[in-house]
Amino acid sequence: MAKRVLIADDSEFMRNLLREILAGDFEIVGEAENGVEAVNLYEQEDPDIVMMDIVMPIRSGIEATDEITTDDPNAKIIMCTSVGQEEKMKEAIKAGASGYITKPFQKPNVLDAINDVVPA
Amino acid sequence: MRLDIRELGQFNHLASQGAQRAAASLSQLTGVKMNVEVTDVSLVTDSVLQETFGGRNFVGVSVGLEGGLSGETVLAFERERAETLQKLLLNKAGASQALAQSSVSELGNIMIGGFIDGWANHLHEAINMTPPTYLEAKGTRILPRETLHAASGKGVFLFESRLEAMNVDLDFSIYMLPEYQEFVDLLSRSPSEPAIPANKLRAFDGLAKRGAHRAAEQIGMMTGMETSVNISRIRFVPLTGVPAQVGDETMVGVVFKLTGMPSGYLVILFDERSAKSVASAMMPGGMQEDGIGAMTEGAVKELGNIMTSGFIDGWANVLGTSIEHSPPNYVHDMGSSIMSPVVSKLGQRQDYAFVIDSAIEMGGQQGHCDIYALPDERELAKTLSALPSNA
Ligand SMILES: [Mg+2]
Repeated sequence: MAKRVLIADDSEFMRNLLREILAGDFEIVGEAENGVEAVNLYEQEDPDIVMMDIVMPIRSGIEATDEITTDDPNAKIIMCTSVGQEEKMKEAIKAGASGYITKPFQKPNVLDAINDVVPA
Repeated sequence: MRLDIRELGQFNHLASQGAQRAAASLSQLTGVKMNVEVTDVSLVTDSVLQETFGGRNFVGVSVGLEGGLSGETVLAFERERAETLQKLLLNKAGASQALAQSSVSELGNIMIGGFIDGWANHLHEAINMTPPTYLEAKGTRILPRETLHAASGKGVFLFESRLEAMNVDLDFSIYMLPEYQEFVDLLSRSPSEPAIPANKLRAFDGLAKRGAHRAAEQIGMMTGMETSVNISRIRFVPLTGVPAQVGDETMVGVVFKLTGMPSGYLVILFDERSAKSVASAMMPGGMQEDGIGAMTEGAVKELGNIMTSGFIDGWANVLGTSIEHSPPNYVHDMGSSIMSPVVSKLGQRQDYAFVIDSAIEMGGQQGHCDIYALPDERELAKTLSALPSNA
Protein backbone atom coordinates (compact mmCIF):
# COMPACT_ATOMS: atom_id res chain seq x y z
CA MET A 1 0.00 0.00 0.00
CA ALA A 2 1.29 3.43 -0.91
CA LYS A 3 2.57 5.51 1.97
CA ARG A 4 0.39 8.48 2.88
CA VAL A 5 2.08 11.89 2.72
CA LEU A 6 1.09 15.31 4.04
CA ILE A 7 2.73 18.30 2.34
CA ALA A 8 3.15 21.54 4.31
CA ASP A 9 4.62 24.51 2.46
CA ASP A 10 3.41 28.09 2.08
CA SER A 11 4.57 28.20 -1.53
CA GLU A 12 2.11 26.96 -4.13
CA PHE A 13 5.03 26.49 -6.49
CA MET A 14 6.80 24.21 -4.02
CA ARG A 15 3.63 22.19 -3.23
CA ASN A 16 3.14 21.60 -6.95
CA LEU A 17 6.74 20.51 -7.31
CA LEU A 18 6.52 18.07 -4.39
CA ARG A 19 3.23 16.70 -5.67
CA GLU A 20 4.81 16.03 -9.08
CA ILE A 21 7.79 14.33 -7.46
CA LEU A 22 5.70 12.12 -5.15
CA ALA A 23 2.80 11.31 -7.48
CA GLY A 24 2.66 7.65 -8.43
CA ASP A 25 4.75 6.31 -5.53
CA PHE A 26 2.81 7.95 -2.70
CA GLU A 27 -0.68 9.00 -1.76
CA ILE A 28 -0.94 12.73 -1.02
CA VAL A 29 -3.47 13.05 1.78
CA GLY A 30 -3.39 16.81 2.21
CA GLU A 31 -1.63 20.09 1.59
CA ALA A 32 -1.12 22.74 4.25
CA GLU A 33 -0.11 26.35 3.65
CA ASN A 34 0.99 27.12 7.19
CA GLY A 35 1.90 25.47 10.48
CA VAL A 36 -1.61 25.62 11.93
CA GLU A 37 -3.13 23.87 8.91
CA ALA A 38 -0.35 21.30 9.09
CA VAL A 39 -1.19 20.42 12.71
CA ASN A 40 -4.92 20.19 11.94
CA LEU A 41 -4.43 18.08 8.83
CA TYR A 42 -2.06 15.79 10.70
CA GLU A 43 -4.69 15.07 13.36
CA GLN A 44 -7.35 14.54 10.72
CA GLU A 45 -5.37 12.34 8.30
CA ASP A 46 -2.74 10.64 10.47
CA PRO A 47 -0.26 10.45 7.56
CA ASP A 48 2.84 8.19 7.47
CA ILE A 49 5.13 11.09 6.53
CA VAL A 50 5.00 14.87 6.64
CA MET A 51 7.10 16.97 4.28
CA MET A 52 7.39 20.16 6.36
CA ASP A 53 8.67 23.55 5.20
CA ILE A 54 10.35 25.64 7.94
CA VAL A 55 9.58 29.22 6.95
CA MET A 56 5.79 29.55 6.83
CA PRO A 57 3.41 32.28 8.01
CA ILE A 58 1.15 32.02 11.11
CA ARG A 59 3.12 29.14 12.60
CA SER A 60 6.54 27.98 11.44
CA GLY A 61 7.36 24.41 10.45
CA ILE A 62 9.50 24.00 13.57
CA GLU A 63 6.66 25.03 15.89
CA ALA A 64 4.24 22.76 14.02
CA THR A 65 6.70 19.88 14.27
CA ASP A 66 7.04 20.43 18.00
CA GLU A 67 3.28 20.36 18.42
CA ILE A 68 2.74 17.28 16.26
CA THR A 69 5.48 15.20 17.89
CA THR A 70 4.33 16.20 21.39
CA ASP A 71 0.98 14.58 20.59
CA ASP A 72 2.41 11.75 18.51
CA PRO A 73 6.04 10.96 19.38
CA ASN A 74 6.16 8.50 16.47
CA ALA A 75 5.32 11.11 13.82
CA LYS A 76 7.75 11.06 10.89
CA ILE A 77 8.50 14.55 9.77
CA ILE A 78 11.02 15.56 7.11
CA MET A 79 11.96 19.21 7.09
CA CYS A 80 12.17 20.69 3.58
CA THR A 81 14.07 23.84 3.96
CA SER A 82 15.89 26.56 2.10
CA VAL A 83 17.91 27.12 5.24
CA GLY A 84 20.94 24.93 5.87
CA GLN A 85 22.10 26.69 9.05
CA GLU A 86 23.53 24.35 11.67
CA GLU A 87 21.64 26.06 14.49
CA LYS A 88 18.34 25.81 12.60
CA MET A 89 18.88 22.10 12.03
CA LYS A 90 19.53 21.60 15.74
CA GLU A 91 16.23 23.38 16.48
CA ALA A 92 14.41 21.16 14.00
CA ILE A 93 15.83 17.96 15.46
CA LYS A 94 15.01 19.17 18.96
CA ALA A 95 11.44 19.81 17.84
CA GLY A 96 11.24 16.18 16.73
CA ALA A 97 12.08 16.16 13.02
CA SER A 98 13.32 12.81 11.70
CA GLY A 99 15.24 14.13 8.72
CA TYR A 100 15.68 17.05 6.39
CA ILE A 101 16.33 17.99 2.79
CA THR A 102 17.57 21.31 1.51
CA LYS A 103 15.82 23.18 -1.28
CA PRO A 104 16.22 23.15 -4.19
CA PHE A 105 15.96 19.39 -4.32
CA GLN A 106 15.47 16.81 -7.02
CA LYS A 107 13.40 13.65 -7.01
CA PRO A 108 16.20 11.29 -5.85
CA ASN A 109 16.96 13.52 -2.80
CA VAL A 110 13.33 13.45 -1.76
CA LEU A 111 12.95 9.69 -2.23
CA ASP A 112 16.19 8.98 -0.36
CA ALA A 113 15.14 11.16 2.56
CA ILE A 114 11.76 9.44 2.80
CA ASN A 115 13.33 6.02 2.51
CA ASP A 116 15.74 6.80 5.37
CA VAL A 117 12.87 7.74 7.65
CA VAL A 118 10.21 5.19 6.65
CA PRO A 119 11.87 2.29 4.80
CA ALA A 120 9.60 0.76 2.17
CA MET B 1 32.72 51.77 18.61
CA ARG B 2 35.57 50.73 16.31
CA LEU B 3 34.79 48.78 13.17
CA ASP B 4 37.22 45.99 12.54
CA ILE B 5 38.14 46.10 8.86
CA ARG B 6 39.20 42.47 8.81
CA GLU B 7 35.80 41.45 10.20
CA LEU B 8 34.13 43.55 7.50
CA GLY B 9 36.21 41.58 5.00
CA GLN B 10 34.99 38.37 6.61
CA PHE B 11 31.36 39.43 6.19
CA ASN B 12 32.03 40.41 2.61
CA HIS B 13 33.49 36.95 2.06
CA LEU B 14 30.42 35.32 3.64
CA ALA B 15 28.15 37.36 1.40
CA SER B 16 30.15 36.34 -1.62
CA GLN B 17 29.96 32.65 -0.67
CA GLY B 18 26.25 33.08 0.03
CA ALA B 19 25.77 34.54 -3.42
CA GLN B 20 27.55 31.51 -4.91
CA ARG B 21 25.16 29.20 -3.09
CA ALA B 22 22.20 31.30 -4.20
CA ALA B 23 23.45 31.15 -7.78
CA ALA B 24 23.76 27.37 -7.58
CA SER B 25 20.16 27.12 -6.35
CA LEU B 26 18.94 29.24 -9.21
CA SER B 27 20.86 27.11 -11.69
CA GLN B 28 19.36 23.96 -10.27
CA LEU B 29 15.82 25.32 -10.49
CA THR B 30 16.07 26.87 -13.94
CA GLY B 31 18.93 25.12 -15.71
CA VAL B 32 20.56 28.50 -16.37
CA LYS B 33 24.19 28.76 -15.41
CA MET B 34 24.95 31.80 -13.24
CA ASN B 35 28.14 33.65 -12.35
CA VAL B 36 28.56 35.83 -9.30
CA GLU B 37 30.23 38.91 -10.72
CA VAL B 38 31.20 40.72 -7.57
CA THR B 39 30.10 41.29 -4.01
CA ASP B 40 30.69 44.61 -2.38
CA VAL B 41 29.56 46.37 0.74
CA SER B 42 29.09 50.08 0.99
CA LEU B 43 27.83 52.46 3.59
CA VAL B 44 25.19 54.33 1.69
CA THR B 45 22.94 57.29 2.28
CA ASP B 46 19.54 57.89 0.74
CA SER B 47 21.07 59.79 -2.20
CA VAL B 48 23.20 56.77 -3.17
CA LEU B 49 20.13 54.54 -2.93
CA GLN B 50 18.37 56.95 -5.31
CA GLU B 51 21.28 56.71 -7.73
CA THR B 52 21.40 52.92 -7.47
CA PHE B 53 17.70 52.11 -7.77
CA GLY B 54 16.17 55.27 -9.24
CA GLY B 55 13.92 55.13 -12.27
CA ARG B 56 13.99 51.37 -12.75
CA ASN B 57 11.03 49.02 -12.48
CA PHE B 58 11.66 46.04 -10.27
CA VAL B 59 10.14 42.76 -9.39
CA GLY B 60 11.53 41.59 -6.12
CA VAL B 61 11.31 39.26 -3.21
CA SER B 62 12.04 40.52 0.25
CA VAL B 63 12.74 38.47 3.34
CA GLY B 64 13.13 39.88 6.84
CA LEU B 65 15.82 38.53 9.14
CA GLU B 66 15.83 38.20 12.92
CA GLY B 67 17.91 36.42 15.50
CA GLY B 68 21.66 36.23 14.92
CA LEU B 69 21.28 39.09 12.49
CA SER B 70 18.39 41.47 11.90
CA GLY B 71 17.72 43.27 8.69
CA GLU B 72 16.31 42.78 5.25
CA THR B 73 17.36 40.84 2.22
CA VAL B 74 15.98 41.79 -1.15
CA LEU B 75 16.32 40.04 -4.44
CA ALA B 76 15.67 42.55 -7.20
CA PHE B 77 15.08 41.79 -10.85
CA GLU B 78 14.33 44.35 -13.48
CA ARG B 79 10.84 43.67 -14.68
CA GLU B 80 11.58 42.09 -18.08
CA ARG B 81 14.08 39.76 -16.47
CA ALA B 82 11.54 38.60 -13.92
CA GLU B 83 9.29 37.60 -16.81
CA THR B 84 12.12 35.56 -18.33
CA LEU B 85 12.61 33.93 -14.96
CA GLN B 86 8.95 33.01 -14.54
CA LYS B 87 8.99 31.34 -17.93
CA LEU B 88 12.06 29.35 -16.99
CA LEU B 89 10.59 28.26 -13.67
CA LEU B 90 7.16 27.28 -14.86
CA ASN B 91 8.12 26.05 -18.27
CA LYS B 92 4.54 25.62 -19.35
CA ALA B 93 1.92 27.82 -20.88
CA GLY B 94 -1.22 28.82 -19.07
CA ALA B 95 0.19 28.90 -15.56
CA SER B 96 -1.81 31.31 -13.43
CA GLN B 97 -0.48 34.71 -12.37
CA ALA B 98 -0.60 33.53 -8.76
CA LEU B 99 1.55 30.51 -9.51
CA ALA B 100 4.00 32.67 -11.44
CA GLN B 101 4.38 34.98 -8.45
CA SER B 102 4.61 32.04 -6.11
CA SER B 103 7.44 30.61 -8.19
CA VAL B 104 9.44 33.85 -8.01
CA SER B 105 8.76 34.19 -4.25
CA GLU B 106 9.89 30.67 -3.54
CA LEU B 107 12.97 31.09 -5.69
CA GLY B 108 13.77 34.22 -3.66
CA ASN B 109 13.15 32.32 -0.44
CA ILE B 110 15.47 29.49 -1.46
CA MET B 111 18.20 31.80 -2.71
CA ILE B 112 18.09 34.01 0.37
CA GLY B 113 18.11 30.91 2.59
CA GLY B 114 21.33 29.82 0.92
CA PHE B 115 22.69 33.34 1.08
CA ILE B 116 22.41 33.67 4.87
CA ASP B 117 23.44 30.14 5.90
CA GLY B 118 27.11 31.05 6.04
CA TRP B 119 26.39 34.14 8.15
CA ALA B 120 24.46 32.11 10.70
CA ASN B 121 27.18 29.48 10.90
CA HIS B 122 29.81 32.20 11.34
CA LEU B 123 27.78 33.81 14.14
CA HIS B 124 26.95 30.40 15.74
CA GLU B 125 23.40 31.59 16.02
CA ALA B 126 20.28 30.87 14.00
CA ILE B 127 18.96 33.58 11.71
CA ASN B 128 15.19 33.44 11.38
CA MET B 129 13.61 34.37 8.09
CA THR B 130 10.13 35.76 7.54
CA PRO B 131 8.12 34.24 4.71
CA PRO B 132 9.02 35.90 1.40
CA THR B 133 7.08 38.95 0.22
CA TYR B 134 6.59 39.38 -3.52
CA LEU B 135 7.04 42.98 -4.64
CA GLU B 136 6.61 45.03 -7.75
CA ALA B 137 7.93 48.54 -7.31
CA LYS B 138 9.63 51.44 -8.94
CA GLY B 139 13.01 52.77 -7.81
CA THR B 140 13.91 52.72 -4.14
CA ARG B 141 10.41 51.57 -3.20
CA ILE B 142 11.66 48.03 -3.77
CA LEU B 143 13.41 48.53 -0.40
CA PRO B 144 11.63 48.45 2.95
CA ARG B 145 10.51 51.81 4.31
CA GLU B 146 12.61 51.41 7.50
CA THR B 147 15.70 50.97 5.34
CA LEU B 148 15.03 54.20 3.48
CA HIS B 149 14.45 55.95 6.77
CA ALA B 150 17.70 54.60 8.22
CA ALA B 151 19.57 55.62 5.08
CA SER B 152 18.56 59.23 5.54
CA GLY B 153 19.92 59.12 9.09
CA LYS B 154 23.11 57.29 9.87
CA GLY B 155 23.20 55.49 6.55
CA VAL B 156 22.87 51.77 5.88
CA PHE B 157 25.33 49.07 4.99
CA LEU B 158 24.40 47.72 1.61
CA PHE B 159 25.80 44.37 0.53
CA GLU B 160 25.30 43.83 -3.15
CA SER B 161 26.05 40.67 -5.08
CA ARG B 162 25.53 40.92 -8.81
CA LEU B 163 24.68 37.69 -10.58
CA GLU B 164 25.09 37.29 -14.29
CA ALA B 165 23.55 34.55 -16.40
CA MET B 166 25.33 32.87 -19.25
CA ASN B 167 23.40 32.91 -22.55
CA VAL B 168 20.20 34.36 -21.05
CA ASP B 169 19.38 37.92 -20.08
CA LEU B 170 18.78 37.21 -16.42
CA ASP B 171 21.26 39.42 -14.58
CA PHE B 172 20.13 40.65 -11.19
CA SER B 173 21.28 41.54 -7.70
CA ILE B 174 20.90 40.28 -4.17
CA TYR B 175 20.91 43.07 -1.62
CA MET B 176 21.45 42.51 2.05
CA LEU B 177 20.78 45.37 4.44
CA PRO B 178 21.65 44.52 8.02
CA GLU B 179 20.20 46.65 10.78
CA TYR B 180 22.78 49.45 11.25
CA GLN B 181 23.47 49.42 14.98
CA GLU B 182 23.47 45.65 15.26
CA PHE B 183 25.89 45.32 12.38
CA VAL B 184 28.16 47.98 13.85
CA ASP B 185 28.10 45.98 17.12
CA LEU B 186 29.06 42.81 15.24
CA LEU B 187 31.96 44.58 13.59
CA SER B 188 33.27 45.85 16.89
CA ARG B 189 32.94 42.63 18.92
CA SER B 190 36.61 41.77 19.01
CA PRO B 191 38.49 44.91 18.10
CA SER B 192 41.74 44.53 16.23
CA GLU B 193 43.60 46.89 13.93
CA PRO B 194 43.02 48.27 11.39
CA ALA B 195 39.75 49.68 12.62
CA ILE B 196 37.66 52.75 11.82
CA PRO B 197 35.54 54.45 14.46
CA ALA B 198 31.87 54.06 13.50
CA ASN B 199 31.23 57.76 14.05
CA LYS B 200 33.83 58.64 11.39
CA LEU B 201 32.04 56.77 8.62
CA ARG B 202 29.92 59.73 7.64
CA ALA B 203 33.02 61.89 7.52
CA PHE B 204 34.62 59.33 5.21
CA ASP B 205 31.58 59.39 2.97
CA GLY B 206 31.69 63.20 2.89
CA LEU B 207 35.35 63.02 1.99
CA ALA B 208 34.68 60.79 -1.00
CA LYS B 209 31.99 63.15 -2.26
CA ARG B 210 34.14 66.23 -1.74
CA GLY B 211 36.97 64.76 -3.80
CA ALA B 212 34.63 63.89 -6.65
CA HIS B 213 33.05 67.34 -6.68
CA ARG B 214 36.42 69.06 -6.69
CA ALA B 215 37.55 66.89 -9.61
CA ALA B 216 34.33 67.57 -11.52
CA GLU B 217 34.78 71.31 -11.04
CA GLN B 218 38.24 71.05 -12.54
CA ILE B 219 36.89 69.33 -15.66
CA GLY B 220 34.35 72.11 -15.95
CA MET B 221 36.99 74.80 -15.70
CA MET B 222 39.35 73.16 -18.19
CA THR B 223 36.76 72.25 -20.82
CA GLY B 224 33.95 74.73 -20.33
CA MET B 225 31.56 71.77 -20.13
CA GLU B 226 28.97 71.55 -17.46
CA THR B 227 29.74 68.70 -15.11
CA SER B 228 27.90 66.85 -12.40
CA VAL B 229 28.83 64.06 -10.05
CA ASN B 230 26.44 61.28 -10.85
CA ILE B 231 27.50 58.65 -8.38
CA SER B 232 29.95 58.78 -5.56
CA ARG B 233 30.15 55.92 -3.17
CA ILE B 234 32.58 53.99 -1.08
CA ARG B 235 32.63 50.29 -1.78
CA PHE B 236 34.48 47.75 0.28
CA VAL B 237 35.54 45.00 -2.10
CA PRO B 238 38.00 42.15 -2.39
CA LEU B 239 40.86 43.56 -4.44
CA THR B 240 40.71 40.64 -6.83
CA GLY B 241 37.19 41.70 -7.83
CA VAL B 242 38.12 45.26 -8.79
CA PRO B 243 39.33 44.68 -12.38
CA ALA B 244 36.15 42.81 -13.34
CA GLN B 245 34.07 45.55 -11.79
CA VAL B 246 35.74 48.16 -13.99
CA GLY B 247 34.91 46.05 -17.03
CA ASP B 248 36.32 45.22 -20.42
CA GLU B 249 35.59 48.41 -22.31
CA THR B 250 38.67 50.14 -23.76
CA MET B 251 39.46 53.18 -21.66
CA VAL B 252 41.78 56.14 -21.84
CA GLY B 253 43.11 57.55 -18.62
CA VAL B 254 45.77 58.23 -16.07
CA VAL B 255 47.00 56.43 -13.00
CA PHE B 256 48.56 58.32 -10.09
CA LYS B 257 50.41 56.98 -7.12
CA LEU B 258 49.58 58.86 -3.94
CA THR B 259 52.08 59.32 -1.15
CA GLY B 260 51.49 60.77 2.30
CA MET B 261 48.60 59.98 4.60
CA PRO B 262 46.94 57.98 3.26
CA SER B 263 48.97 56.65 0.37
CA GLY B 264 47.36 54.69 -2.42
CA TYR B 265 46.27 55.06 -6.03
CA LEU B 266 43.98 57.30 -7.98
CA VAL B 267 42.79 56.19 -11.40
CA ILE B 268 40.85 58.44 -13.77
CA LEU B 269 39.25 56.76 -16.77
CA PHE B 270 37.36 58.02 -19.81
CA ASP B 271 35.79 55.90 -22.49
CA GLU B 272 37.39 56.69 -25.86
CA ARG B 273 34.62 58.95 -27.08
CA SER B 274 34.63 60.97 -23.86
CA ALA B 275 38.43 61.26 -23.96
CA LYS B 276 38.17 62.78 -27.42
CA SER B 277 35.47 65.23 -26.40
CA VAL B 278 37.37 66.52 -23.37
CA ALA B 279 40.60 66.75 -25.36
CA SER B 280 38.83 68.62 -28.12
CA ALA B 281 37.17 70.98 -25.65
CA MET B 282 40.56 71.76 -24.10
CA MET B 283 42.16 72.78 -27.43
CA PRO B 284 41.35 76.32 -28.49
CA GLY B 285 41.10 75.29 -32.14
CA GLY B 286 39.45 71.90 -31.56
CA MET B 287 41.13 68.56 -32.16
CA GLN B 288 43.08 67.79 -35.32
CA GLU B 289 43.57 64.10 -34.64
CA ASP B 290 42.06 60.86 -35.89
CA GLY B 291 41.62 58.27 -33.22
CA ILE B 292 43.40 58.48 -29.89
CA GLY B 293 46.91 59.89 -30.36
CA ALA B 294 49.47 62.18 -28.79
CA MET B 295 47.13 65.16 -28.59
CA THR B 296 44.50 63.26 -26.67
CA GLU B 297 47.20 61.81 -24.45
CA GLY B 298 48.58 65.25 -23.64
CA ALA B 299 45.15 66.64 -22.86
CA VAL B 300 44.09 63.71 -20.68
CA LYS B 301 47.36 63.82 -18.72
CA GLU B 302 47.02 67.53 -18.11
CA LEU B 303 43.39 67.25 -17.10
CA GLY B 304 44.22 64.25 -14.90
CA ASN B 305 46.90 66.23 -13.08
CA ILE B 306 44.52 69.00 -12.26
CA MET B 307 41.65 66.70 -11.28
CA THR B 308 43.91 64.71 -9.00
CA SER B 309 45.18 67.81 -7.28
CA GLY B 310 41.61 68.91 -6.72
CA PHE B 311 40.65 65.50 -5.43
CA ILE B 312 43.44 65.09 -2.92
CA ASP B 313 43.51 68.73 -1.76
CA GLY B 314 39.98 68.25 -0.52
CA TRP B 315 41.10 65.18 1.38
CA ALA B 316 44.24 66.60 2.86
CA ASN B 317 42.37 69.66 4.14
CA VAL B 318 39.77 67.59 5.95
CA LEU B 319 42.21 65.01 7.24
CA GLY B 320 44.79 67.58 8.24
CA THR B 321 47.51 65.59 6.50
CA SER B 322 49.57 66.11 3.42
CA ILE B 323 49.15 63.97 0.30
CA GLU B 324 51.26 64.18 -2.83
CA HIS B 325 50.73 62.60 -6.21
CA SER B 326 53.12 61.18 -8.79
CA PRO B 327 53.28 62.40 -12.39
CA PRO B 328 50.49 60.89 -14.51
CA ASN B 329 50.99 57.44 -15.91
CA TYR B 330 49.00 57.44 -19.17
CA VAL B 331 46.98 54.31 -19.99
CA HIS B 332 44.95 53.25 -23.01
CA ASP B 333 43.71 49.70 -22.57
CA MET B 334 40.84 47.55 -21.37
CA GLY B 335 39.55 48.89 -18.03
CA SER B 336 40.27 45.62 -16.27
CA SER B 337 43.85 45.53 -17.63
CA ILE B 338 44.45 49.06 -16.37
CA MET B 339 43.30 48.13 -12.87
CA SER B 340 45.16 44.81 -12.59
CA PRO B 341 48.65 46.19 -11.85
CA VAL B 342 47.24 48.77 -9.40
CA VAL B 343 45.39 46.05 -7.56
CA SER B 344 48.37 43.74 -7.44
CA LYS B 345 50.58 46.45 -5.92
CA LEU B 346 48.02 47.29 -3.27
CA GLY B 347 47.39 43.58 -2.78
CA GLN B 348 50.83 43.08 -1.31
CA ARG B 349 49.55 44.75 1.88
CA GLN B 350 45.83 44.02 1.95
CA ASP B 351 43.15 41.70 0.53
CA TYR B 352 40.26 44.14 0.56
CA ALA B 353 40.07 47.79 -0.27
CA PHE B 354 37.80 50.76 0.16
CA VAL B 355 37.28 51.89 -3.38
CA ILE B 356 35.94 55.38 -3.75
CA ASP B 357 34.04 55.16 -6.94
CA SER B 358 32.73 58.31 -8.62
CA ALA B 359 31.09 58.90 -11.96
CA ILE B 360 31.15 62.36 -13.49
CA GLU B 361 28.81 63.31 -16.32
CA MET B 362 29.75 66.04 -18.73
CA GLY B 363 27.03 68.33 -20.04
CA GLY B 364 24.77 67.37 -22.91
CA GLN B 365 25.87 63.74 -22.87
CA GLN B 366 29.29 64.79 -24.12
CA GLY B 367 31.09 62.39 -21.93
CA HIS B 368 31.57 60.41 -18.83
CA CYS B 369 34.47 59.94 -16.46
CA ASP B 370 35.09 57.42 -13.70
CA ILE B 371 37.43 58.05 -10.80
CA TYR B 372 38.64 55.25 -8.58
CA ALA B 373 40.56 56.07 -5.42
CA LEU B 374 42.15 53.16 -3.60
CA PRO B 375 43.78 54.23 -0.33
CA ASP B 376 45.98 52.00 1.77
CA GLU B 377 43.50 50.68 4.34
CA ARG B 378 45.77 50.83 7.39
CA GLU B 379 46.77 54.41 6.72
CA LEU B 380 43.20 55.35 5.94
CA ALA B 381 41.99 53.82 9.20
CA LYS B 382 44.70 55.65 11.10
CA THR B 383 43.93 59.01 9.52
CA LEU B 384 40.17 58.68 9.98
CA SER B 385 40.66 57.63 13.60
CA ALA B 386 42.69 60.76 14.23
CA LEU B 387 39.91 63.03 12.95
CA PRO B 388 38.22 65.12 15.61
CA SER B 389 34.73 63.78 16.38
CA ASN B 390 32.96 66.80 14.98
CA ALA B 391 34.65 66.49 11.56
MG1 LIG C 1 8.27 28.65 2.89
